[in-house]
Amino acid sequence: MKSLRMSYLVAGLGGVGFFAMSVLLLGVWPGRVLEEETRRTSPKNPLALTVSEKRGRQIYAREGCAYCHTQQIRQLDADTVRFGKSTAVWETQFDYPHLWGTRRIGPDLSREGSLHSEDWQLTHLYSPQAVVPDSVMPAFPALFDGAPDRPLQGARDVVTYLAGLGYARALAEPEIALKKTSGPPANGDDAYAHNCAGCHGPHGEGDGPAAAGLSPKPANLVEHEYTEAHVITVLERGIRGSSMQAWRGLPHHDIAHTVRGFYRPVREPAPPPAIRDLGKQVYADHCAQCHGENGDGKGSAAPEVRMAPTDFTSERPTPAETLRALRQGVAGTPMAPWNTKLSEAELSAVAYYVRGFYR
Amino acid sequence: MLFVAVLFGIFASAEMWKPELSGGIAALTWGRLRYDHTQGILFGWLGNAFFAFLYHAVPILTGRPVTSNTLGRWMFGIWNFAIVIPGWTLVLAGFSQPLEWAEFPVVVDIFVVLALLLALIQFLPVFFKDGLEDTYVAGWYVIGGLVFTTLSYPMGNFVPEFLPGARGAAFSGLWIHDAVGLFVTPLALAIIYYVIPASTGRPVYSHFLSMLGFWLLFFLYPLNGTHHYVFSVIPMDAQKGAILASSLLGVDVIIVVANLFLSLRGTGWFARDLPLRFVATATMFYLIVSIQGSLQAQMAINGTVHFTDWVIGHSHLAMLGFATFAAAGGLTHAWRKMPGARFNPRAVEWAYWLITTGLLLMFVDLTAAGLIEAREWKAQTPWIDSVRAVRGYWIFRTATALPITAGFVALLAGLLTGDRVGESR
Ligand code: HEC
Ligand code: HEC
Ligand code: HEC
Repeated sequence: MKSLRMSYLVAGLGGVGFFAMSVLLLGVWPGRVLEEETRRTSPKNPLALTVSEKRGRQIYAREGCAYCHTQQIRQLDADTVRFGKSTAVWETQFDYPHLWGTRRIGPDLSREGSLHSEDWQLTHLYSPQAVVPDSVMPAFPALFDGAPDRPLQGARDVVTYLAGLGYARALAEPEIALKKTSGPPANGDDAYAHNCAGCHGPHGEGDGPAAAGLSPKPANLVEHEYTEAHVITVLERGIRGSSMQAWRGLPHHDIAHTVRGFYRPVREPAPPPAIRDLGKQVYADHCAQCHGENGDGKGSAAPEVRMAPTDFTSERPTPAETLRALRQGVAGTPMAPWNTKLSEAELSAVAYYVRGFYR
Repeated sequence: MLFVAVLFGIFASAEMWKPELSGGIAALTWGRLRYDHTQGILFGWLGNAFFAFLYHAVPILTGRPVTSNTLGRWMFGIWNFAIVIPGWTLVLAGFSQPLEWAEFPVVVDIFVVLALLLALIQFLPVFFKDGLEDTYVAGWYVIGGLVFTTLSYPMGNFVPEFLPGARGAAFSGLWIHDAVGLFVTPLALAIIYYVIPASTGRPVYSHFLSMLGFWLLFFLYPLNGTHHYVFSVIPMDAQKGAILASSLLGVDVIIVVANLFLSLRGTGWFARDLPLRFVATATMFYLIVSIQGSLQAQMAINGTVHFTDWVIGHSHLAMLGFATFAAAGGLTHAWRKMPGARFNPRAVEWAYWLITTGLLLMFVDLTAAGLIEAREWKAQTPWIDSVRAVRGYWIFRTATALPITAGFVALLAGLLTGDRVGESR
């Protein structure tokens, strides 16, 4: 009996010992290793979270975002091809508590910062289904004052937090950017309906449910003629400074076909040569520095403006659309209205002229 | 409590294919419901059910009453009115931690630790009064479960608030598994080990195997946690160690289950007694879910199914198939011994079939969904394709809640209607 009692004592201590061992081996020791690795690999001045980012992070934690979105890119091709290089320890050094997550209903967000513009994020947070029609992400209108372009502090904080995700890593390793891949052939109409219609509208008129909160507004595809190469380039790269993102994994060729199909050509009589000359003059005086001598969008001032000026050789708005852009400007872009600076005659002359660059 | 937790689950599952269901009300969005669903199952249902069973079993196992009745009322009060209900409310109001199986905010965690300490005082001293030589294996599981839960709870609930990122995650991983392995599993096994001999009238097949299984379980379980973060930055050796422990655990479970089934052999357990049938079925699910667990810890499989609905299927098999069946068996068993209690075998029979059907359908459905997601992710199709591909499965999953919930209603009816069967004093 005594020996039995002893053996239970030993086993009992052993049990507690094993538990302690588990904590040491799988908790404390890895902690040490990770701390050391952080010290070794972290950039000199790691970017700590700003106050707004911290608040955004709290909302992210509170709303269970981490239960649909991981922030942990595994060392596996399936992860790294899609999301970029696997997560490094030092990237997580300011995460109290960590937000790694164990389930992906939505994509990993470790590198979300560079993927979308602010107006995209706000509109998406206000109503994910407006932007991505099949999304199952919950909407968070409580963070807004009734509209996607009227964010309350909470929404601003979340979007600031999202914008910072992956930023430190991108600074440390600029080559971290993803490979752009174009998916296998598929039905372009279908791909358009599921990915583009939320912004560009079901018929390409730029009037999708997400359009209201975006600036600049989604392009009206009915009013624009694009070369195939242009659409493919836009899909591969996205448009800097707008909510138009780069699209990976989609069949770019087939979608280009759908997009070009929306365009409704308009017949336009050729104007007298005098008007042609006036247009040429106005263009050289006022437009070429941005849109380029040859209308290719590569004017001398182009590198300085926030968004790439339109390349008229691969994109042609209808006459009405051109005039509208000239009179009202393009909201949310550096393209200012010209109606106060140019006469009506000059406007229609230059509108005609820019449409002549298209090849 | 069970019903509330299940309702949280159903709403959350429905919002997964119809997100506008929350009506834009922050408290009803998916994230908060998801927190309350799992915490409700853990504390509201399983915690209450386990403690209730302990009040029945501990006095019989030790031949002595538990420490104090007053303490018992306090424990009940704290558990439900300082933990479950405030926890739920705070989460809905936006106070929580984004840590799995630890979503209740830190304030509530303090009460959990308090309640666990009280539980130690309540249930353990009686075991030590006569020394441990004669302690039956169910008693061992009770002791082990309560002690180790108390030890590991702070690890998952407090530590990650103070250690950043990957370092905190290493501790979270441990707790994710300890919640299941050191709280739910031992107490469910205690019920199984108790109910089987109590209703068959025969001792378990081998006391040696029982004890072997017990000690291996407590040696191996704590070492499993890191398998939740395979292919992460946590040092590879820790990951590999956890994977090895996960494999060995599979072996241990085979020992435990073999012993249990050898004890059941020839007893006609299926037709004999409903509580017995629940616990025997729980044993079966335990075997399946553990072997599945050992397999999915292996790197090749983990790389594919991790982050998918496959894992959600696994956890329902564990919490609903294993733990809930054991708890239902334990509760019905204890209930029938209560003076003046009613029991309606037909309702309980219905409950058994409804829950079993619902669970199996849900499990198959989620596993398939997980495989489809994994395939889409590997093919590098746009993310939304993986969401669209499983939408139908998500709708079906919500539909499986119907038989499961009906089963729980039947179970409740089984305990409240029918003839008075309880032994009168
Ligand atoms: C029910 C699960 C779920 C929850 C909870 C959830 N999301 Fe999402 N999220 C998704 C899904 C699915 C997608 C992919 C479809 C889409 O873009 O809407 C997504 C997409 C995103 C994206 C775009 C990712 C990309 O690069 O295209 C961001 C950013 C995002 N979510 C942020 C959040 C934030 C912030 C929260 C918490 C406030 C949150 N999500 C909560 C499911 C969820
Ligand atoms: C989040 C909203 C949004 C989504 C989704 C979206 N776009 Fe866009 N898109 C925009 C905005 C905004 C612009 C206008 C940017 C500007 O003014 O330069 C734009 C511009 C374009 C243009 C014109 C490019 C140019 O040079 O003017 C094309 C073509 C286009 N999108 C195609 C698509 C296709 C195809 C899809 C689906 C794969 C898509 N868009 C999805 C917002 C979106
Ligand atoms: C400061 C540089 C700048 C100057 C000067 C400028 N533009 Fe623009 N223009 C832009 C930018 C930037 C855009 C917006 C591109 C976009 O939406 O992606 C634009 C857009 C346009 C569009 C709309 C194209 C479309 O897709 O609908 C037209 C038309 C246009 N410009 C014509 C002109 C004309 C004509 C002039 C001279 C009178 C001119 N612009 C002067 C920068 C400039």
